Amino acid sequence: MVAAGFAQAFAVVWFGGKRSASDAAMNIANQRFQQQTRMNRVVVELESAQRSFLLTGQAEFRAESDRRWSDYGNLQTLMRQFVDQPADQKALADVDADLQAWHQTVTALMDRRGELTDVPAVVADQTVVPMRKIKNALDKIERRDLALLAEQIDQTSENNFRNAIITLALPAIDIVMLLVLVTVLARILLDPLAGIAESARQISGGNFDVRLPPAKRDEIGALVKAFQDMTTAVQRRQHELTDALAREREISQLYASLRTNAEQESARLQATIATVPAALIILDAPSGRVVLQNAAAEHLIGREPDDPVERLQHWEQFRASYRDGRRCPLEEWGPRQALRGKVVVGQELTLTAPDGRSIPILVSAAPLRNDFGAITGAVAAFQDITNLYEVDRLKSEFVSIVSHELRTPLTSIKGSLQLLLTDVPMPDPDHRVLMDVALANTDRLVRIINDILDISKIEAGKLELNPRPYNINELVRQSIQSVNQIAQGSSVTLTTVVPPDVPLVMADPDRTVQAIVNLLSNALKYAPARSEVTVAVTPETGGLLRLAVTDRGSGIAADKLGQLFQKFQQIDGADTRKFRGTGLGLAITKALVERQGGSVAVTSEPGRGSTFSITIPIAAGRP
Amino acid sequence: MKVLLAEDEPDVQLIARLALKRAGLQVVTVGNGLEVLDRVGPEQPDVILLDWMMPDMDGFETCMRLKADPATKDIPVIFLTAKVQESEVAKALALGAIGCIGKPFDALTLGAQVLAILGK
Repeated sequence: MVAAGFAQAFAVVWFGGKRSASDAAMNIANQRFQQQTRMNRVVVELESAQRSFLLTGQAEFRAESDRRWSDYGNLQTLMRQFVDQPADQKALADVDADLQAWHQTVTALMDRRGELTDVPAVVADQTVVPMRKIKNALDKIERRDLALLAEQIDQTSENNFRNAIITLALPAIDIVMLLVLVTVLARILLDPLAGIAESARQISGGNFDVRLPPAKRDEIGALVKAFQDMTTAVQRRQHELTDALAREREISQLYASLRTNAEQESARLQATIATVPAALIILDAPSGRVVLQNAAAEHLIGREPDDPVERLQHWEQFRASYRDGRRCPLEEWGPRQALRGKVVVGQELTLTAPDGRSIPILVSAAPLRNDFGAITGAVAAFQDITNLYEVDRLKSEFVSIVSHELRTPLTSIKGSLQLLLTDVPMPDPDHRVLMDVALANTDRLVRIINDILDISKIEAGKLELNPRPYNINELVRQSIQSVNQIAQGSSVTLTTVVPPDVPLVMADPDRTVQAIVNLLSNALKYAPARSEVTVAVTPETGGLLRLAVTDRGSGIAADKLGQLFQKFQQIDGADTRKFRGTGLGLAITKALVERQGGSVAVTSEPGRGSTFSITIPIAAGRP
Repeated sequence: MKVLLAEDEPDVQLIARLALKRAGLQVVTVGNGLEVLDRVGPEQPDVILLDWMMPDMDGFETCMRLKADPATKDIPVIFLTAKVQESEVAKALALGAIGCIGKPFDALTLGAQVLAILGK
């Protein structure tokens, strides 16, 4: 655009210059011609005035002639400005010379007029011919000037034509360029704007897939860019909304299906709870109130009251106690513990109803959590174990009765044999041996019964111990005394090693003696003849004394050591001649010792011997 | 020394009687608690040997009654127990018995045991 402007300006200037040049030339030519014409006329008027004067002698003609000559003089001077060609100048100069001469002649004539007799003849004689030459010369010059002028006019016309064209063309070009510019601008400005407008229309119509014109780097471009950005943002927002809507729908559907699932699950759960034979209750956290119970649970606690809500609250009227009679505080009740997150299995309680009725139950409870792991409640199952207790009681009773029943005839047998042995002389040693056998086996039967009774009590949890502070030496002495005869029978030496300052132990004396006797009996079973069995008492960390019975028998294989203290375990290779245990001895020993707060242990080296030991707690606070 | 022996099992009764006689003690035998209460007055024993389990009135109740009666409460009572329950011994002592002898007892030392418990 700018270049075009400069070009135009240049063209205008150049052509304008050219034009003014030709204009100037034409002007000059015109002026020249006009002045020449004027000069010629002036000369003619001069001649006329002179002739008139010469003919009339009137002064005004002389004045005019003077004036005209003056004019001619001015014009001649003037003409010299216009004439630049040497040829032309010469022509003018020639004419001027002629005219000067002529004027001189005529002036002389005019001055001598009075003297002239035939003026016309004189005029004709002296003036006409030279005048004719002058006029011819002047006409020639005039013609020449006219030709020049015509030439100039032609030139100028030409120039003018060209100039006109240019003058017309330039604006035309300008207009065209303007149109182009406008069109371009229009395109630049309006197209994008139109594009933006159209896009806006589209977008408001809901159609987001609009194509915007590429943005150039200018204000329009910036606008376009801004509009693009806005469109993109709006598009994105539209997408987000659509996504959100789709998600909403998804969530609704999911929710609906979850709800259906939940309802089905709930229905299934309800059905399960209702029909399961165990009593189930569900508690609510954190109140701990019973919010759901199945038919079995209602049956357990009795159906009153009639109102279902009150029936749930009925639970609160029950008191719970442990098996040994201790009251079970509410917080220790299994379901309550479950509300605190604990899983309770097999809690034995006795529920006492307001009317005094008591029901032994086995409680299991677990917490109920929501998806976040928070406790929302607890579920508890109860089992009425009245039957179990009954069976237990019957079993205990049975064992008691049986053992009593068995002991009675044994008493008779033993007594009879003993009295016979002392009262009846038996010189035959075989007879005496037979009597010994009978008595020994009677004793063995008694021991078996005792063991069975013990193990039954242990299993029923009814083993009663009465620990009291006791001197371990005394316990060891009693034990040794019980087995002394057997030891003597195999010539086994019984040795005791007890430190002199040994503290008192907290022990049930009878039961502890029973344990020690058990260990000694076993040791004597496996001790070879004439070997030594040692009873050693040593202090042990943790406020205990360790009592170890060591024999020099054949030992026990390492893989058998673990089983020894279990029920009905017999060690292979036991000599059947010596009294055989029931297989319950070590199990009873273990239970007794552990009930007292101690432990059992065994070490053995096959071929070298075995050491069985127990620990007994020291009586606290006593020296 | 006269012993009033209450034992419902005839064989055991026999053995006990023989055992006690060997120890030089005089023995009167009855079969149940009711009989004990009947015979305690006329017999005036120095010690009563009571079996725990007896028909009609067991040892437990018999002892209670004996101790409740001012005429008989001072007669020493020893229980013959099968030592089935540990609590039997405690109960016996709580009732006022001065000792227990377990069954089956050693016939040869029964008399000595009784005397020992009596403190003689």
